[in-house]
Amino acid sequence: MKVTGPLIDTGRVDLAGFDRALGDPADPAALLSYARSAELDRDESFPADICRELDRMGLPRLYVPAEFGGALTRYDELVAALRAVARRDLTVAIGHGKTFLGGVCVWLAGRAEQAHELGADIVAGAPVSWGLTERGHGSDLLAGETTATPEPGGFRVNGEKWLINNATRGTLLCLLVRTRPEGGPRGFSLLLADKRRLAADRWRPLPKVPTHGIRGADISGIALEDCPFPADALIGEQGAGMEIVLKALQLTRTACTALSLGAADQAVRLAEEFATGRELYGRRLIDLPHVRRVLGEAYAALHAAEIVSVLAARSVHTLPREMTVISAMAKSYVPARADELIAACGELLGARAFLTEVHEHGAFQKLERDHRVVGIFDGSTFVNQHVLINHFPLLVRGHREGSADEEAVRRTADLSAPPPPARLDRLSLLARGGCSLTQSLHSASGELRALASADQAPARVADLAEELTDSCDRLHHELALSPPASHDVQPDAFALARRYEDCFAGAAALRVWLHNRTPGEDPLWLEAVLTYVLRSLRPPGRPTDGEVFDRLFDARTAGRPSAPPTSVVTS
Amino acid sequence: MTDRTTASVADLERRFGDPWDPGNPTGHAAVLAADEAGEMLTAGERLLDDYGLNAEFVPPDLGGRLTRLDHLIEVLRVVFRHDPCLGLGYGASSLIPAVNVWTAGDERQRRRMADVLLAGGRAVSGYHELAHGNDFARAEFSALPGDDGRLRLNGRKEVIANAERAEAMVLFARTSAAPGSRSHSQLYVEKADLPAGAPVHLPRFHSAGMRGVQLGGLEFRDCPVPADAVLGAPGLGVETALRSFQITRTALPAMTAGILETGLEVTARFAEERVLYGRSLAQMPYIRSILADAFTDLLICDCLATVTARAVHLLPGETSLYASAAKYFVATLLMDAMDALSRVLGAQFYLRDGGYGIFQKHLRDLAPAGFGHAARVACLSTVLPQLPRLARKGWLDDTQPPTGVFQIDADLPPLPFGRLSVGSGGRDALSASLSAALGSPELDGELRRLVLVIAAEQADVRRECAALTPADLSVAARPEALRLAARYAAVLAATACVNVWLHNQERHDAFLGDPHWAVAALGRIAERVGRDPGQRSRHLTERLASEVLARHRDRRGFGLSNRRLP
Repeated sequence: MKVTGPLIDTGRVDLAGFDRALGDPADPAALLSYARSAELDRDESFPADICRELDRMGLPRLYVPAEFGGALTRYDELVAALRAVARRDLTVAIGHGKTFLGGVCVWLAGRAEQAHELGADIVAGAPVSWGLTERGHGSDLLAGETTATPEPGGFRVNGEKWLINNATRGTLLCLLVRTRPEGGPRGFSLLLADKRRLAADRWRPLPKVPTHGIRGADISGIALEDCPFPADALIGEQGAGMEIVLKALQLTRTACTALSLGAADQAVRLAEEFATGRELYGRRLIDLPHVRRVLGEAYAALHAAEIVSVLAARSVHTLPREMTVISAMAKSYVPARADELIAACGELLGARAFLTEVHEHGAFQKLERDHRVVGIFDGSTFVNQHVLINHFPLLVRGHREGSADEEAVRRTADLSAPPPPARLDRLSLLARGGCSLTQSLHSASGELRALASADQAPARVADLAEELTDSCDRLHHELALSPPASHDVQPDAFALARRYEDCFAGAAALRVWLHNRTPGEDPLWLEAVLTYVLRSLRPPGRPTDGEVFDRLFDARTAGRPSAPPTSVVTS
Repeated sequence: MTDRTTASVADLERRFGDPWDPGNPTGHAAVLAADEAGEMLTAGERLLDDYGLNAEFVPPDLGGRLTRLDHLIEVLRVVFRHDPCLGLGYGASSLIPAVNVWTAGDERQRRRMADVLLAGGRAVSGYHELAHGNDFARAEFSALPGDDGRLRLNGRKEVIANAERAEAMVLFARTSAAPGSRSHSQLYVEKADLPAGAPVHLPRFHSAGMRGVQLGGLEFRDCPVPADAVLGAPGLGVETALRSFQITRTALPAMTAGILETGLEVTARFAEERVLYGRSLAQMPYIRSILADAFTDLLICDCLATVTARAVHLLPGETSLYASAAKYFVATLLMDAMDALSRVLGAQFYLRDGGYGIFQKHLRDLAPAGFGHAARVACLSTVLPQLPRLARKGWLDDTQPPTGVFQIDADLPPLPFGRLSVGSGGRDALSASLSAALGSPELDGELRRLVLVIAAEQADVRRECAALTPADLSVAARPEALRLAARYAAVLAATACVNVWLHNQERHDAFLGDPHWAVAALGRIAERVGRDPGQRSRHLTERLASEVLARHRDRRGFGLSNRRLP
């Protein structure tokens, strides 16, 4: 579909128009069609022409804050836009969206002039990459060996960054470098590498790494040998690199959850369409009870995941000081639930989830392989749960002291109101007050109980909310007994972290329903999401009745879809 | 394992050599290169030709070595461990059609199939049509009499391994226009006996995993077949298939466990080599617990597969129940365990090259375990209708199975192809051995407590099965009813584990004789069925993790056999 001007522009972000312009992937003429995506994946080719078209539509503007010349004023809009692209093709979303990751450190800590320049480059279509990891070190950034030795006029850089998305395609790279030989928390800095200005004989790209999924993406690296950098390449203060990166990750991890949502959207759509058209044993697959149950559960999982993702994005605006735990929970929870949802949907498709040319050009097997990277990069589930585990004492203290910012929680969850402007200077390495959303579960479930007493909501849903609240309280008691953080973290701690994520998801769902409901609205989707969450939280021996998932799916089939306002599900 | 099995397995392992040697023509590097090219590993196929793998699929009275199903599984597991494509594309893809011929074929047909295989040829299993999937009774492919009375083949079979190069085909076809279950037959047909140009080979189907296996298709248009093509009497197509499934649904997932063995091997290697925050990953308690859990799951699969395989020999009338339950449960555990291990590898899992690239190929190759040869839900649908009758009668009988079903090294009578029945006939001797284990004085402490937890689950399952209605038993069964079949499978797995522990003390295997692995196994199974396994002692996790890493260092296999690798 031909577009005349950018759909995403400073002061005007037309997400609905953007989504329409992306088209239906089942349409071979669409910009992001299943057919084209399959071809690019088979050939391991970068989707360059698709990315150029996304540039023309203005998507790069959403990677640049308004104050630096872009269109980014709301992080939930960034999530929605990335989700829309991911819903069609994850390789494109990851290949194009990486530029947001590349720029974040500059938005957080760069000089105004530096940020404006980068913003202009991005809006003009320059891809930007983020060079954090190195061969052999993975997520252990403090082990980084790429050094930047200060010298007159700037720095001399030696080392290699590897397994970097867009390292070769990127015009600019934000590099984490060791500026003190002994390293440590103040031993690293960030440098903006501009390939147009670097000495050509002092750097070279590293070869493309063949990957399990996102095969067309540019996963490569850069090697720097005695490469001079000007002083103005420094981003923020010398020695502040690690702190800036940790804050940047709070934004990037949140944004990356959009990828999981898009993948999950596509997986459910493919499964549902297949089941509707498929006849087996003399009836449509979608009429079989176990199939309806799988799809109903998938919708519950999708709603839980999207609520966490959207609230995390809005929390950048409303609860910046809690973003370290919110982003960690979101990045741990959302991709893992999406992986599970994708596996369940894949089972319905059977061989068609495995063959590459049957059923929508093998879209399912591509999406399944592509999505597996989301739980791995930008802080794997393991890394993010570690962040949460290290915060257990602060979470416990906040829960005990009840320091929740309830007003901020309401503003986060009330999706009708745009959030206040994002204040990135309020991001913090420690969430000193704990997590407001879980702390305010008592008042949320109290509100629901009051509604139930006034016949405005079914009592059984209020029961679920109260069960969640009790479970959350019990969890905090167990967290208080958890041993202090160390590198010898026991498996139990990871199980506790998972339960925390579940509580967060349930609390988020409850808030979204409370603050966005129409009077007399049936909280069916909320009942389904709370049941889904509680199924994970309940101790073994207490089985969960899955019939709510059947009711959720039946409502869809009957044309009465019950979905949170975060949903992109069409009836 | 018997001495004969040990010798075969050792021979095959020696031929494959060290998979980590980059120069090994059948090592990981070569296997990956073939996967990248989407082709079978030629050196691997030659190796299997030289070893004479096809003889493992042929009964002894026809000149082969198919005497024991557990032996077959052990041998094929070696192949899957090195390259699942070889396992499926060279091996299992011929086994499936062959078993139908051993089960229902006449003298001539059995002789012909044996000759094809023993000469190094291949057979295809012609069940699958994309339009019908597991619902093969609705297959459209037909073999109906033409004007001259000869059967004429019409239709397509799709996604058939080795369609193009196979010499022999076992085709599932509609042979009568009447509705009902007697309208299909299986036909044994050799391409050489067909008119020129038949069959038409369909273009290759490409796949995300098992990329080297040639998945093709066969199309027939009014193709006459020899009069003696029908396997057994006409109309026995479904019955023959169901009887054969007992061997193949037992064997396939069991062989596929070789994939998890490699997964464990690669992950253990990574954990020891990778340093994080100053120590190796292998020293981190969380990583150790994941290794311990995956190892436990492999042992569970091994126990269930071994016991089911031995039951095919000793309790052939009942294996309709056990084989489908085992396929469901083993496939589930293998896939979940590989996913868990992939999370330990992290970014290294995602690379197709590098030191650990072999893992992602094995993970992709594992995918068909979930849907291939019988989707997991189809397996549950085979188990479910048999449960009410068992609840009313079979489970009230506490006659014990022969202990030989649990004794890994004990002799077995020949495979009773003729005694495989369509249903279990309302009998289930294996289930009786769970409560019988409680009568053993050796069962004490933690293991006894867990057996009681599983026994409580068994009692609940039996009670709920007694309440099933006819509507609950069809393909339109409620999820809770299908879940009953899954819970039955879990209890069966636990029964296999505790009895394997109990009945193999004389093996003098220190690890196997120790109850720890069985405690871990029953604990994980209890969790799967939603029962509280109690607090798992760190000590237990530690023992299992240490065992994984020790076996990795000592180059031993991770299965029950704990055998030395070359």
